[in-house]
Parts: sequence; C-alpha cells; structure tokens
Amino acid sequence: MSHLTPLFNDEFIDLPLKRALGQVVKRRETGSKVVGAYCSYAPVELVWAMGGVPAILCAFSNAPIGKAEETLPTNLCPLIKSSFGFIELKTCPFFELTDAVVGETTCDGKKKMFELIGKHRPMYVMDLPQCPTNKGAVAYWRQSVAGFKEFLESEFHMTITESAIEKSIQESNRKNSLVEEIFAFGAHDPSIITWQEMYDVATFAVVSNGSETIAKLQEIIALLTDRREKGQYVSKENAKRVLITGCPIGGDVLKVLKLVDEEGATVVGLDNCTGLKPFLGRIDEGSDDPLMAIAKRYLQIPCACMTPNTGRFDQLKKQVSLLKPDLVIDLVLQACHTFNVEAVKVESCVRNDLGVNYLKVVTDFSTQDLGQLKTRIGAALEMS
Amino acid sequence: MEVIDLIKRFNLTINIKYFTILPLRKSQAPLRTQEVHIRRAGIDIGSRSIELTIMDGETCEVTERFQAETSIDLASQLRNIQDSYRWDVLVSTGYGRHLSQNILGGETVTEIRAYATSAHHFYSEIELVIDLGGQDTKALLLDPCAGQLLKFEMNDKCSAGTGKFFEMMAATMGLSLDELVAAARRGEKLFEINSTCTVFAESEVISLLTTGASVEDIARAIHESLLSKLVSLLSKVMKADAPSVLFVGGGAKNSTLVALLAEAVCKKIIVPEYPEFFGAYGAALLAKNTL
Repeated sequence: MSHLTPLFNDEFIDLPLKRALGQVVKRRETGSKVVGAYCSYAPVELVWAMGGVPAILCAFSNAPIGKAEETLPTNLCPLIKSSFGFIELKTCPFFELTDAVVGETTCDGKKKMFELIGKHRPMYVMDLPQCPTNKGAVAYWRQSVAGFKEFLESEFHMTITESAIEKSIQESNRKNSLVEEIFAFGAHDPSIITWQEMYDVATFAVVSNGSETIAKLQEIIALLTDRREKGQYVSKENAKRVLITGCPIGGDVLKVLKLVDEEGATVVGLDNCTGLKPFLGRIDEGSDDPLMAIAKRYLQIPCACMTPNTGRFDQLKKQVSLLKPDLVIDLVLQACHTFNVEAVKVESCVRNDLGVNYLKVVTDFSTQDLGQLKTRIGAALEMS
Repeated sequence: MEVIDLIKRFNLTINIKYFTILPLRKSQAPLRTQEVHIRRAGIDIGSRSIELTIMDGETCEVTERFQAETSIDLASQLRNIQDSYRWDVLVSTGYGRHLSQNILGGETVTEIRAYATSAHHFYSEIELVIDLGGQDTKALLLDPCAGQLLKFEMNDKCSAGTGKFFEMMAATMGLSLDELVAAARRGEKLFEINSTCTVFAESEVISLLTTGASVEDIARAIHESLLSKLVSLLSKVMKADAPSVLFVGGGAKNSTLVALLAEAVCKKIIVPEYPEFFGAYGAALLAKNTL
C-alpha cells in the first residue's frame, strides 16, 4: 500500500470520521444548520435543500456501552446502546454540533431510544412503513417525508423550495452514481481498492454534496483507474475474496474485517448501510412531486426491517456476480432480530442460488469473541 | 455448608485433570536419513490442553503422542517441546497456533480444517463430526467422497456447552470429572438444568442441592443440559441419512455423554481411541501436503 497514492491525500488519512467531522464543522461555520441522522432512511436531500448539512451520529464504539447499560438493557443491539451512551457521555462530537436530529422507526429499540434522547435536541421521528410493497405504503411514507420537511422549515424558520429539492436530488443522483462506480472497482482481481478505502469513500460521501464532492469522487475514480492500469494491487494474487453483508458496520465492529485481512483474504465489497447500500438507486428527476420521488427511492432501501425485503437478494445477486467473492460474511449485530432471522434466507440464497460459501457472524463491539471469530473466519476461508 | 468446606472442596477439585498427562521425553527415533521416512508433526494448542503428534511421513502411522495442560507461559512450554521432540515438518492448530508458528515455525490451520482432515483420513465414510473441546464445541459436515468440509457450526463467544462447563459443574458439586460422569450414569432424568451458561448453571445446581435432589440426578441433569447444546449444534449441520457421528475432543471421553448423544440423535457414535488428538492428527496430516 505504501507505494500507492492515497485516495484521500489529506491530514485525515485513516481517520475518516475526523474528516467527516471537519466537513460538518466547515459547513456549520458558514451558517449551515446541522441535522444529525442515524440511518440511511433519512432523506438527506431535504437537509441539503435547506442549505444544511447532515451528520451521521456516533454509534460504533464499545466505549460508551457501559454508560448506556446503566439505563438500557444489556441484551440490546450494541448500535443502539453505543448511540445512547455517546449522548449521555456527551462524547459524540457530531451530536454536540447538531441543531436537530432525525430518526426513523426502523426497529423497536431505536424508536424507543429516540424518545429518551429527544430531550436533548429538537427531534423528528419518521414513521417508516415496513411492508413497502403494500398498497398505500409509499403514500404514507411520503407524508413522513413531508412532515420532516415541515419540521425543518418550522424549526429553522425557512422555506424549502421545490427547486432547491430538485437541485439536491440531481446532486445526490450524480454523487451516488460516482460512489457506485468507485465500489465497482472492488470487482478487480487482485484488488485495487481496500475495504478501508471503500469505508472512507462512503463516510465522506454521506455527509457531503455539491461540486467539490463530485470533483473529489471523480479524482478518486481517476486514481483507481490509474492503479488498475499500472497493476498496483492492494491484495495478493489469488487472495480469497470476501463480500460483507448484513448490519451497518464501523468502529469497533470493523474487527471482523480486520480478521479477514489477518487471514490474508481481501474484502471486495461492503453491501450494507455504511457501505454501498445508501448510494444505490436513483431519485426521479424533474417529477411533479419531488417529495414523492424521494419517498419512492428511500422505501426501496433493502433493510432487513422490511418485509418482504426482496431488494436485498436482488442486490446480493448483482454484487456476487460483479465482485465474484469466495465467501459472503453476513455480519449481524447482537439482538438485531431482523437481520438475524433474515440470515436464514440470505444463507440459502448465497449457498444454494449463488453457490458461494457463507458465514454468519453474530457479534457486538467488544473484543470477547476475537479468538472464536478468527477460527471461524479462518476456517470459512480455508473451505472457500 | 460452611464457607471453609466450599473452599476445601474447591481446592480439592480445582486440579481435576480431564486427561492423562504423558511424560515429556526425548524422541527415540533416529535423525532423518535417506533410509528413514521424514517425520511430520501436528500440534494442537487448545485452551485447556496441548497435544503433539508425530507421524511417519509415508505411512501416516502415529509414532509419538504428547499431551499436557496448556500453561500460562505457553511460549516456554513450546520451546520445551521443541527441545524434546524432533520433526521435519510441522503444522500448528488450535487457539495458540499463531504463537506456536512464531516459535516452532511451519504453517497454521484452523482446528476446524484439522478435524475435518483427520476425521476423513481415519474414518473415510464419516459425514458428521462433533468436537467437544475445552472452550469450543464444533459440528462439522463432510463430503465423504473428497473429505471436503461442507459446513460447520461453532459456539459464538462464550464457553457455554463446552468441556469447561463440566469441569466447573464438577467443582461446584465437589466431584472429580470421573465421579460426575459415573454419577450421571446412575441418575434419572427427573428435572432440567436450563442453562448451559456456567455461571447460571452453577446457581441452578446449588439450588437443586439445597432442595435435597440427589447428586446422581443433578449430574444427569448437567449432562442433559450440555447434551441439548450438542444436539442443537449438530442439528444445524445435520444430514438426516448419515448413519453415524464421529465424536472427538476431550469431551468424547465422557462415556455417559456419548451414550446420551447416541440416544438423542439415533445414530451410532464413534469415539476413537485418542479422541483428543484429532486436532493434532489433522495438523500432522496437513503437514504432509506442505512438503
């Protein structure tokens, strides 16, 4: 790696969250309102349209979980406990910068946690219909999208115009297609992009927008194209290839990806909400009802909280066909029932329909299972 | 019960050995020459014990077996082994495989691959393998044609339902492991211990003792509790028409558990002569392929 030009050649090399924080601080200093979000379902186009900036709130460290467990049950999703603990301890710099927070009813633990943190910031909780193909689901979700727009307008005493929304839709589409193009470099064998770089790109792109972002993403594509042309690889030849699917990942749960590296394999794709998932799909441009266009696109996000969640399987098939992994690791956070149960169908799809080896890992942010995980990941790679 | 009695009991039972410790000795075999087959070794460094085996490079006949408790100073222990045994090629497996590789050299494999390899080598028809180790329990499904590992399941993080569970339960009851196993054989299935978590199960056992339940019946319930964990793990990889299960790891020496498992899964349970050596055997067999 040392001979390669880093994709982000700045003072935040290997510190993607600090880079994102820098971006948010920069926007805030120019008067932008900061809207905290926890999830890919937050329609950030509305935040951009009001001249604001979204901030993805801290949720992936084991450190604040002890504090959270003073209030929340131990056998809860670590992501929820971590989010709550960060706020209680006031150690999430993103949250401290926010002027408002948006949440969605993706799961029971989260929606009740939002009630507990609502006292700290103005908060809008969007009710997410979980049978997305049922009649009326999109129309109902559009009401939540409209409600979020009204919340922002009333909270910040401004009007979000249709033309501003349309502009941010177009920018999002452009940005998302570039991020998708970057992730597609994962298909190269041997690898020319690391999972850390994919994670850096996703972390950067989710809180940035506009021409500077487009230029940066284009620069990254040029760097990756250059690596491809020069044969500059980041993995060994014949390294086993791993696609990560499942729950959102970051911070301490990246332990699983680090173990894949330790075993000499290469992660070629991140098919989850802190990877490619939020950048898939496009919002209809030039529609009569941009809020409906936004609602339609967001309801297509293939999260396990949805039923049926056919989009996840369609996407997995595309990713496996493009990236040609030897192993799919389905990373489930402890007590995330929807991803944990959906794993039954994912395993069947991956093993039987796609003929690829599969490993489900249920874990949290602690280091307690490192030994077992190393053995299980090592053995799954030996099989592949 | 007085606290002092508990301490005495604990002290009496804390050194329970689940295995026979064979003496560490210098290999008798001559140095490698043109006429002598090369010697390949496999070492399995588990949470509770270390097994080393040395095989004839051509015939795969086991020429040496060494076993010891895993010590706190594993590095010194490995150097000691290095000074006492000779081999031409070695593969390490088990939790300590990476430290072992640093000290002894050679390659590493996971114990899952090691078990799959040795199971197929010694029992070529076998499809299902269960390993009950010190802190892990694993169930494997093999393709008997090629010996390929098709699927495996293993406990996620805690050592519930592993050999450690028996050790702790025996200690709680003031019994040796052999006594616990023997008592369970005489016991009846009158009640359940619902937890395989060692800490929770201990409090269940203490509650049962205070209600006057017999030691035999409690010992049986302890076995049934672990059995349910084994059956659950096995059922995740289970192939209904597989006629038998190969039971390896130190836990396979528990004859009561073996009998209960056979009854529970309606399959023949095969326990090899040295079940705890199957990780080391597998490593040694894989050492062959690295020559």
